[in-house]
Amino acid sequence: MKFLATILLAIAAIAPAMAQKSIGNGQVSGSFESTSIGYLDDKKLGDAPEDHFGSNNYLKVDYSNGRFSAGIQANAFLPVLQGYEDLADGYKFYLASKYIQWADKNYEILVGDIFDQYGNGLIYRSFEDRQLGFNNSIEGVRAAYNFGRFVQLKGMYGRPRLYTEYASSWVRGADLIVSLADICDIQENMTLSLEGSYVNRFQKLTLGDDRDKLIFETAGLDNPNLNMYSGRLNFGWNGLSLRGEYVHKGKDLNLDAVDGMASNGSAIYAELGYSHGGFSAVATYRQLKNMTTRASLYDDGTGNAINYLPALTRQYTYMLANLNPYQVYALGEMGGQADICYSLRSKESRYRYWNFHANFSTFYNSFSKRVMWRDINFDVERQWSKKLKTIFLFSRQEWSKSLGYQDLYGSNIFVGDVTYKFDRKKSLRVELQYLLADRHEGEYDYEGDWVAGLAEFSLAPHWSFFVQDMYNIDKTKTHYYSGGFSYTYNRTRVQLSYGRNRAGYICSGGVCRFSPAYTGVNLVLTSSF
Amino acid sequence: MKKILSLLCLLMGATSLFAQQLPDVKIEDIEGKIVAVRDLVKGKPMIISYWSIACKPCIQELNAINDALEDWRKEADFTVVAVSTDDARLKAAAKNMATSRGWEFTCLFDDKQTLRRAMNVTLTPQAFVVDAEGNVIYSHSGYTPGSEEELFEKILELKKKK
Repeated sequence: MKFLATILLAIAAIAPAMAQKSIGNGQVSGSFESTSIGYLDDKKLGDAPEDHFGSNNYLKVDYSNGRFSAGIQANAFLPVLQGYEDLADGYKFYLASKYIQWADKNYEILVGDIFDQYGNGLIYRSFEDRQLGFNNSIEGVRAAYNFGRFVQLKGMYGRPRLYTEYASSWVRGADLIVSLADICDIQENMTLSLEGSYVNRFQKLTLGDDRDKLIFETAGLDNPNLNMYSGRLNFGWNGLSLRGEYVHKGKDLNLDAVDGMASNGSAIYAELGYSHGGFSAVATYRQLKNMTTRASLYDDGTGNAINYLPALTRQYTYMLANLNPYQVYALGEMGGQADICYSLRSKESRYRYWNFHANFSTFYNSFSKRVMWRDINFDVERQWSKKLKTIFLFSRQEWSKSLGYQDLYGSNIFVGDVTYKFDRKKSLRVELQYLLADRHEGEYDYEGDWVAGLAEFSLAPHWSFFVQDMYNIDKTKTHYYSGGFSYTYNRTRVQLSYGRNRAGYICSGGVCRFSPAYTGVNLVLTSSF
Repeated sequence: MKKILSLLCLLMGATSLFAQQLPDVKIEDIEGKIVAVRDLVKGKPMIISYWSIACKPCIQELNAINDALEDWRKEADFTVVAVSTDDARLKAAAKNMATSRGWEFTCLFDDKQTLRRAMNVTLTPQAFVVDAEGNVIYSHSGYTPGSEEELFEKILELKKKK
């Protein structure tokens, strides 16, 4: 019945004609997103959840009129999909965000839920990621002022969202950008700016509570105020770019700390890039020490954060290359990545070119100095003609499941990807992948070898059909298969699929959510207007 | 429950009344300079395409537009804006890719989700066609090889209306 209701909802979303009319001088826009899964029993995975159904729905509506805008977002979990944190009761309908804003030429003010970031997000980032069930927006007020092109200043104050509720803290901060290139009227193709941020988190105390004693006496935290400072430099000139950020963080409690004691934190971020013609390269380095910054010291969960510490590793689009993603160790890691691209294009035809790409990333445990992650990879993309394109990818990955304290697991991943266009509308894409695990004294590393394949047939612009399978050859001998189709009509897209999904971490940036294995029917609807 | 569903249905059913203009927000260009999105409207139509490093069809769409651009521009004068939604994790790699690929686009980087939220982009790829006054006249989600032609057809329709 609930599944039927969701399908009806989907139909309601597709139905509207896309005729567009303004309301007076103002206009309304919005989006709707719904993901529903019917969970099925599977002998290989065990029984499905008791409810056999989950549905996450998001509706966002915005109104704007000149420099004024306002909006709301409502979330409905009917009940929540498996694996989403902090929704023990399952069902929830709530106002996830609301705002009113005035944005003038040189200033803006917003009252409501704030989504923003200072610098690289090392001390503050509030954002939403629905795949992760993540929304740490700050409910409060934000103001920004630009002194021409020379200086940008902004500040905010409010309380962070923690899943469907609010954290027991208040956060305030300010960010300043001074463009020296504009102030000194340096040549046009140069950017040079000095930047800085300050963020304070005030942890509300629940006086008399034993937890206060645990945090503020036993763990050595002597102040409910946490202060963080960041200084940044941005420089760019003729294809050369240099960016750096240093962060100092005051005494804070980190649950991962071995001694359980509060301590100061710090971070260094450096990025050097160069590009010329079809060549471009960028190298990044980052060092973290005690940088996990929770919105509330009294709560846990991946959604309990006010800063953003992404994994600086390559993000793959291929199943086997993403099997074991790196997870940031914010207590103490150092490392970085290098990324090089080169494009070689035919002078005779725009439809013939080579794209070469190589990437290397590695991260070390700052305490043991041991490798936690290493990935060296390259891919070669060749557009042979209007009809045919091929991609070959190789990745050598080494990772530790014990923060580097025990041996590294190793794997070599090979991917072939071919796209063939039969005519202007019809095309076929095929992926073949193999993961070759390292062997030590005859034993396979981790789960051993995997093989995967995908075939996708598209009928532009509306239809796409796919089947895929991922199979563990050595240990579990389990197929993770799926098949389905999608239909797109302008800004509305519906995807229906069926399959078995592997348990694992769904990661976006540095945030990872554990998703349990399941077999089921999956309906995804997105629409915007 | 029924009330909630009815409310959602009602809201979705009402979408035919609504329209969209390019929002008044500022984001970063490839050199790190802050750009007002409405300032990109310079009296000619525009294609805006959202992409990210981890979105294979997005990159396919941008490559397809870039391949066809020379032929298209013989028939109509317009600009293309590619908006990367990559956050701090992949922004550097996204700039790296945008530079090397030879895309003849204006490349913007929306790592704070400012433009994405303002334009209600929940799924990438998503492409918009904007007229010479900054009104969104067409949009599509997803990409299948060949669907870039729809964008160009809308540009040609705008040319005919002129």
